[in-house]
Amino acid sequence: MRVLFLCYRGNPYCGGQGIYLYHLTRELAKLGVEIDVLVGPPYHDPMDEWARVIKVENLNLWCERTRRIPYEKLVRIFSPYNFVDYALTRFHIFPEMETFSVRAFSLMKKLLKERQYDIVHDVQCLGWGLLPMKGYGIPIVSTVHHPLTFDREADFLIDKTFWELVTTIMFYPLTMQRVVINRLNRIITSSVNGVAELRKAFGLPARKISVVYNGMDVEMFRNTGEPREENSLLFVGNTEDHKKGMRYLFEALAMLPDEVTLTIVDEGPPSRLTAWGMIQDLGLEKRVTFTGKVDLSTLVSLYSRKTILVMSSLHEGFGLPAAEAMACETPVVTTTAGALPEVVGNGGAGILVPPKDPRALKNAILELLKDKNGRKAMGKIGRKRAVEHFAWPVAAKNTLDVYKDVIQSCGRCV
Amino acid sequence: MQRSRIWGFLACILSLALFAGFVYYAFFVDAGAVTLCGLASQTYYAIAVPIMLVALGLCATGFWVGWTILTIKVAPPMPEIVEKKDYAKVKAFFLCALMLALAAIFLYGVYIRNYWALAIPAAAVTLVVLGMVFWVGIAIITARSTLPENKKK
Repeated sequence: MRVLFLCYRGNPYCGGQGIYLYHLTRELAKLGVEIDVLVGPPYHDPMDEWARVIKVENLNLWCERTRRIPYEKLVRIFSPYNFVDYALTRFHIFPEMETFSVRAFSLMKKLLKERQYDIVHDVQCLGWGLLPMKGYGIPIVSTVHHPLTFDREADFLIDKTFWELVTTIMFYPLTMQRVVINRLNRIITSSVNGVAELRKAFGLPARKISVVYNGMDVEMFRNTGEPREENSLLFVGNTEDHKKGMRYLFEALAMLPDEVTLTIVDEGPPSRLTAWGMIQDLGLEKRVTFTGKVDLSTLVSLYSRKTILVMSSLHEGFGLPAAEAMACETPVVTTTAGALPEVVGNGGAGILVPPKDPRALKNAILELLKDKNGRKAMGKIGRKRAVEHFAWPVAAKNTLDVYKDVIQSCGRCV
Repeated sequence: MQRSRIWGFLACILSLALFAGFVYYAFFVDAGAVTLCGLASQTYYAIAVPIMLVALGLCATGFWVGWTILTIKVAPPMPEIVEKKDYAKVKAFFLCALMLALAAIFLYGVYIRNYWALAIPAAAVTLVVLGMVFWVGIAIITARSTLPENKKK
């Protein structure tokens, strides 16, 4: 089988798309799938061993003032696609998905002269370009971890002024995604909860949605054997993302004894100030530390050393940090938001609490901090669950099953 | 001089020249005396419909933004945001009203074949695009290159 992947941002260190693309294509290749990838910047780590990679230009002009755009990018603005990108970003529109998909459509015409594809797999783009792409007669599936409606609502929660609301509305291409998503052959989402969310957000019928749990590298994410620190909480994620419910986590921390500390794997001040402002409000400056960006081995070490991973999310399309912590035998305390109950399960890998309830979060953390043996047992259960459900080979096999089903239902031969 | 800087100068000069020409010919030379009533309907609407679509699209976008703000149904966590949002909703209401009024005035103008109903939307789009070309040109001229010397030409 030959698959063409489309991914508008390939960087594996920001956002989940790059990670998804890198690992899924590698595992699919092991299953005998031939893979070509059209990918936009920032680009991923080399994937040449198992895929043919074609880089698609994008200047990433969003949020850059014209006078601050580097000279090397400025001189390329006058090409048609780049100028459209530039013009739309000046009106606070986020055009990467639109222009990437149209560029991909244009590039596909050249690719199809050399080889045929059995299926096109789009990763969270849902751009206008996918519509004419259907004219090539190849089934198209798209992975959508969660609808952007959640991101927009989370932004609405903290937008203070009329102008902030306007820019939020202009930013999210929801109309485009709603039109495009309903015209694709199949949507892959990473949780059963995601099916209902996609139906609600885009009116997508359930028969067009398949659930494939996200994967992770369970060989990399395993307990390092380092001694566990006591009373040490861990949070992994983007603190600027309003869906993470940082306010509730900090409120819970303020209610916990002073010896309980929190380590956040993300940039802190001066580059990121949203979380820091909340920390200052609650007087938690001495109890919270930011690690900044860390490499994979440091992250695994943190998962293995800290007492509990906490997620105070208001919504999670999947909740990868919870699965990673479980793989490292670390118990988790998470909210019941989004797909987190599916990730943590009800087998005892962690404690689930309602979202927006700092008191419940505090009680669950306290309960676990007091029970060392319970934490150890939870860690073992978590590791077992992670290996059985969230390993990349499992995700690749399930994705391949979806491909076969889509191709069969479209009347094509594998 | 680097070739890209020459393009920067050209972008500025060209956009300024087009800007001046557009403003002069669209708004000053005989603009008040232009009559579109003598045009055949097909000829008139061949020009009016594309401009109408763009203008109504812009009005619809403005209305949609205002309407979305008016109908947001999320519970903000902090009371001070609720208060500020209520103020935003007043502005959103006026935005919707303004867009509806503009669309109505525009449609009426197109119906009676008023020159300004076509000239103003065309000017808005043209001048915004020329403004962006000019601004990028200025940025190219004044930016410092970090390319190695052997790649600059």
